Amino acid sequence: MEGKVRIGFYALTSCYGCQLQMAMMDELLQLLPHAEIVCWFMVERDSYEDEPVDIAFIEGSVSTEEEVELVKKIRENAKIVVAVGSCAVHGGVQSWEKDKSLEELWKTVYGDGKVKFEPKMAEPVENYIKVDYRIYGCPPEKKDFLYALGTFLVGSWPEDIDYPVCVECRLKGYPCVLIEKGEPCLGPITRAGCDARCPGFGVACIGCRGAIGYDVAWFDSLAKTFREKGLTKEEILQRMKIFNAHNPKLEEMVEKIFQEVKE
Amino acid sequence: MKNLYLPITVDHIARVEGKGGVEIVVGDEGVKEVRLNIIEGPRFFEAITVGKKLDEALAVYPRICSFCSAAHKLTAVEAAEKAIGFEPREEIQALREVLYIGDMIESHALHLYLLVLPDYLGYSNPLKMVNEYKKEIGIALDLKNLGSWMMDELGSRAIHQENVVLGGFGKLPDKATLETMKKRLSEALPKAEYTFELFTKLEQYEEVEGPIIHMAVKPRGDIYGIYGDAISVSDGFEFPSEDYKKHMVERVVEHSFAKHSFYNGEKPFMTGAISRVVNHADKLYGRAKELYESHKDLLRPTNPFANNLAQALELVYFTERAIDLIDEALAKWPIRPRDEVEIKDGFGVSTTEAPRGILVYALEVKGGRVAYADIITPTAFNLAMMEVHVRMMAEKHYNDDPERLKYLTEMVVRAYDPCISCSVHVARL
Repeated sequence: MEGKVRIGFYALTSCYGCQLQMAMMDELLQLLPHAEIVCWFMVERDSYEDEPVDIAFIEGSVSTEEEVELVKKIRENAKIVVAVGSCAVHGGVQSWEKDKSLEELWKTVYGDGKVKFEPKMAEPVENYIKVDYRIYGCPPEKKDFLYALGTFLVGSWPEDIDYPVCVECRLKGYPCVLIEKGEPCLGPITRAGCDARCPGFGVACIGCRGAIGYDVAWFDSLAKTFREKGLTKEEILQRMKIFNAHNPKLEEMVEKIFQEVKE
Repeated sequence: MKNLYLPITVDHIARVEGKGGVEIVVGDEGVKEVRLNIIEGPRFFEAITVGKKLDEALAVYPRICSFCSAAHKLTAVEAAEKAIGFEPREEIQALREVLYIGDMIESHALHLYLLVLPDYLGYSNPLKMVNEYKKEIGIALDLKNLGSWMMDELGSRAIHQENVVLGGFGKLPDKATLETMKKRLSEALPKAEYTFELFTKLEQYEEVEGPIIHMAVKPRGDIYGIYGDAISVSDGFEFPSEDYKKHMVERVVEHSFAKHSFYNGEKPFMTGAISRVVNHADKLYGRAKELYESHKDLLRPTNPFANNLAQALELVYFTERAIDLIDEALAKWPIRPRDEVEIKDGFGVSTTEAPRGILVYALEVKGGRVAYADIITPTAFNLAMMEVHVRMMAEKHYNDDPERLKYLTEMVVRAYDPCISCSVHVARL
């Protein structure tokens, strides 16, 4: 890319962890001479949401009508749109109960209180605009940002990861949380890239990077293993849905395992 | 003829966590209305975790906020452990507090250097300060990196820690790592002190001077700190944490997805570093105690801008405190990371001091699942008081250049170190 690359970092509804992760990278200081921050409210007071940018990073789920308009505007103004983190890519943990009615959730938290904004059930950014690249994780790893930014800056395209956490876990040589400890680890269906951080601490993966794409997330095989360990269908679905509530294949594949049993 | 006034608005306050704005409505008689608009969407954390398995809910709660995810994790886990009737061993509690301090150091360093300091030095963005203020940016990064590294080692990562589990930790760092942690903390102490000196020189605007009710968690063991089972009020009142609903009363306001809180249902109050210092300075020790004694006049209970200096004081205090807590844990070495827990039914309330003030988790557990959840965050507690101070600033400056007024009101909001994501998603009636 010629001249300074124009960067925007926009937030929808989220915990701001993705941009915090990016802001915490010491390497950012090396990027600065080559970049112009057009919009990034968390660090820049002179931020402009309406200006054209080369790369637009979007964090957060679409959770208000205002945010629907915002993502459309960002798409119009950006050459490359990057959905960052589990909320933007998969709808985030706030989608966990996406099938419950909004009214019911609202009543539980706010009672009869009313506000002047229009809330919506959380959705991934891709439900509204075309996304060119995805950075996964809750939060993404710092190296995910470095890789994506570095690749864009040399005018190339970053590659997607299409294998599960288990691959990295085996390479690290950690004891298997699922088989050896018998805990409901989601490593087998979850996209790699974290170097199996949680299994490295002896903690079962909760799937924060979301299910692997390209139809290679075998929800059914893992559901079968979970079932053998005594988990009910409802428990399996709840666990797999923490970060994958919007996945179109999940329910169907898990259902299949329990139908097989009946026959 | 009637004069026409346009509202003065900052649609999106920069350099805070989350998305919020300020709206000031001016009329013939001066400032008519001041509103802090919180414009992020709701995430219904309490509603979506009800009926879920306890450990899964505990994995989701930290996602409320990235700046204080460790605070959310540790407070939620304590509430859950109280609910199921489990008490962690002293050494585990000490190391959890070290993890919490990692969050405190990182959060304060980020807030003071990257969010607050640019205003005083005339920059729109901290990254632009790199050439002129090399030393300050260097210190900011060192302190921030120390805090995140502590969270990496004890929590699995700096944002959304998974290593804290019911009964203890998934895994603990080895002894050598804890020794290194102590060394790095003592090397950071002069940097924390430099920060304090730096912030003693910054203006605390007179416009917002006035009486403030402060609330803070009363620390356990009479040592200034994070965990406690009662709340102290600056008017001398004290109440057990379980009674939080009686004395910290929430109301829905129409201009925000976050509810506002009032002391005994009437008065706005403040919580945060300055409130901790105001209510519990007598429990400080070490270098921080000395600095407090020599700079008492600047740590004013009557000015929200004193919150910045109070955070700097805490950088000094918590750096020293973490070293002592690691020593407490090392005295019991080797430590078993985790105890078996039995998930019994029960109800538990935990109140801790997050970087920005009091954080409340109340959880009820039934049949291994969350039956009820109530979470209130420091920013939600602070919103009503924040509006009072923004109004005071606006009343003095509404005739000035609107840009100046915006700049000053943003600074007031920033002094509170608000965490808007936190405040939005978690208030409940």
